[in-house]
Amino acid sequence: MIRNLATELSTRDAVAATTLVLLLVAAPFVVGDYLLSVILIILYFAYVGQAWNLMMGIAGQLSLGHALYVGLGAYTAAALFVHFDVPPAIGLFAAMAVAALAGAVIGFLAFRFGISGVYFALLTIAFAEFTRILFSHFDWVGATSGFFLPVENRTSSDLVNLRGTSVMFYYVILTLAAGALVFVRLLAGTRLGYYWRAIREDQIAAQALGINVFRYKMLAVVISAAMTAVGGVFLAFYYNNLFPTDVFGIHRSIEIIVAPIIGGLGTYFGPVVGAFLIGILGEGLTNATEAAGIQTAGIKQLVYGVILLLIIKLVPGGLWPLIARRLGFSIKERRK
Amino acid sequence: MTKSSDNRTISSAISRRRFNAALAASGALLAAPATLRRARAAAPLKIGCLAPLTGFFAREGQNCKRGFDVAGPMLADMGMAVEIMMADTESNPDKARTAAEKLIGEGAQLLIGTFVSGETAAVAQVAEQRGIPHVINIAAAPQITEQGYKFVFRNFATGPMLVINGLGLIKSLFAATGTTPKTAVFMHVNDTFGTAMSKGIGALFPKMDMPFEIVETIAYDPKAKDLSVEVTKAKATGADILMPVSHGADAIMLIREMVKQRWEPMGVMTPGSPGTYEAQFYKALGKYSEYVIANVPWIDPKTAMSQEFAKRFGDMFSGEMLELNAGFSFEAVLIAADAHKRAGSADPNALADALRATNIEEHVMIGGPLAFNDKGQNVNIASAALQNLERRPTVVLPAESAEAAPVFPMPGWGDAKRG
Repeated sequence: MIRNLATELSTRDAVAATTLVLLLVAAPFVVGDYLLSVILIILYFAYVGQAWNLMMGIAGQLSLGHALYVGLGAYTAAALFVHFDVPPAIGLFAAMAVAALAGAVIGFLAFRFGISGVYFALLTIAFAEFTRILFSHFDWVGATSGFFLPVENRTSSDLVNLRGTSVMFYYVILTLAAGALVFVRLLAGTRLGYYWRAIREDQIAAQALGINVFRYKMLAVVISAAMTAVGGVFLAFYYNNLFPTDVFGIHRSIEIIVAPIIGGLGTYFGPVVGAFLIGILGEGLTNATEAAGIQTAGIKQLVYGVILLLIIKLVPGGLWPLIARRLGFSIKERRK
Repeated sequence: MTKSSDNRTISSAISRRRFNAALAASGALLAAPATLRRARAAAPLKIGCLAPLTGFFAREGQNCKRGFDVAGPMLADMGMAVEIMMADTESNPDKARTAAEKLIGEGAQLLIGTFVSGETAAVAQVAEQRGIPHVINIAAAPQITEQGYKFVFRNFATGPMLVINGLGLIKSLFAATGTTPKTAVFMHVNDTFGTAMSKGIGALFPKMDMPFEIVETIAYDPKAKDLSVEVTKAKATGADILMPVSHGADAIMLIREMVKQRWEPMGVMTPGSPGTYEAQFYKALGKYSEYVIANVPWIDPKTAMSQEFAKRFGDMFSGEMLELNAGFSFEAVLIAADAHKRAGSADPNALADALRATNIEEHVMIGGPLAFNDKGQNVNIASAALQNLERRPTVVLPAESAEAAPVFPMPGWGDAKRG
């Protein structure tokens, strides 16, 4: 499959992809701690955006509660680490399993009873919200007081326990973001990917062609949930503290979906482009308002919002298809 | 709250000459002989101040910023030059972390912030990794100072401290007024803060030998538009006092409903929450805002430094109410500047050593000297019983800081004393 993917790349694509990877790999040696922390967050959103993109962009199932899987992944791995000394390298699988189970429950409730579209989206929000409330009363993981992981000021890296420097975390999230991109692209090229796209385009037609719609929609939710949970594990061990409002909050769900929408819903590279644009835009505006001596709070958010609105209005398909067309990239990507 | 009412005590009670004399005295106290031997730090200390200036916690963050804004020029006049580098955390832990990195990259030698526990924990981690001292102005999650950090210092009460201080003041109030109720209703908003307070009270109330019994605990939704059922339920218990834990609009709604249902308990006193001492509370409720008590950390109206701070605050922010977030933010800068002065250097390790040895007798907030235990926590922070008198929050306890005597039981809703 990887060989197939490689043959789809033109020379121009290959050069661009290699350059980007080399730049990102070299970043810790070139940029300072501040920029590295910004790129790290960008890559995190590229990763979780890709996980959401698989469910919405490719399978066509709108989730507005993906923070649920971030939180479940984060809390599961963190609790196993703190209470049972289970390293995150193992806790990761438990986190994925818990999130996948939650996704399966939501998917079953929705798809078995014909809930779809905005009603499905509302269901995902409801689950995320009541899980936030549940964890706000869950003393075993700190409830509202927060759940704190023991912090060590390390200069060396321990990948098994995810304890180490910012550079280690940077390479971890870079690997995850790149891995997710390749994984989603490969998955989309399989029979499963074609089924998902058929369901996305016309569910009734797909069903008429013999596709088991329920099964493949469930698979999309479960895989996306498990992938998102990995992002949650990263978040837990990077920040070392978890608060229910921070990880399960609706703002977290919205943050996850902005990058793929801006970058290009249903495209494989869209979440990456969107995450970079949003990250650069956010920090760029902060620096620009500071440089201009603007003290009024909220100006940055206002400009930021207007720019996002303009992008959505002027380029409703997202930025990546536009960029790809202009620069002559030929990676096959399909979107609704 | 108007400027004139805010600063009523200040303007009449202190002159600049008196303040300067007090400053000289406190300066002498701060300047131990060892410090005198050191050369005074030549360049101002670059302090990176983080606060949620936008987003969900913007109102509180803006109050913090006002404290920072007053601190710069005031401390410069006290011979402690600082350069404030302000950053907005946007009420977001991700942003708080990158903002801390940015400030350090731009030369911040010490960090202060942030107000929100999740953000503060993220900043503390950056500070610890980078070896830059971090003075926490506000954040109550106890675990932040339980992490074994060497560069993190908190000048704010933890959640349990707030509850212990709040309940302790209720006992003191009864002793001071000679009136001891027998029963109470505890009503709390059912959000993160309210739930944490409820759990804290549930755990600590039995251990504090309180002279009354909580006969009913009633939780309500933070987005509730009507509290008639809850107030009816509370009234039906016949409890002597109401202990609410509220935020803002819900506190107003609660009192309005009490007035409507003519429930007149002996007192309404929160064991440690905002909502009842804010400008909107006075504006919305008028005479019904009177006599409500909140037991929260507060600015000591009796120290020369706090009086000067209040005066400058009034001059800089006419019409804004001076409250605890500004006070603690000012104190955080004071602590940093004092450490810098004693260290004679902005070297992070020297600053951290100086912070550990902090002992500031005269400061702004009510409580003992500013000092840190081996975990970096100031355990001397106290709360004040803050009673609404003449449409302003007035310290009535502890006695040494009191501006007026407490009024308890409170007069009925229709009493002429309410004005």
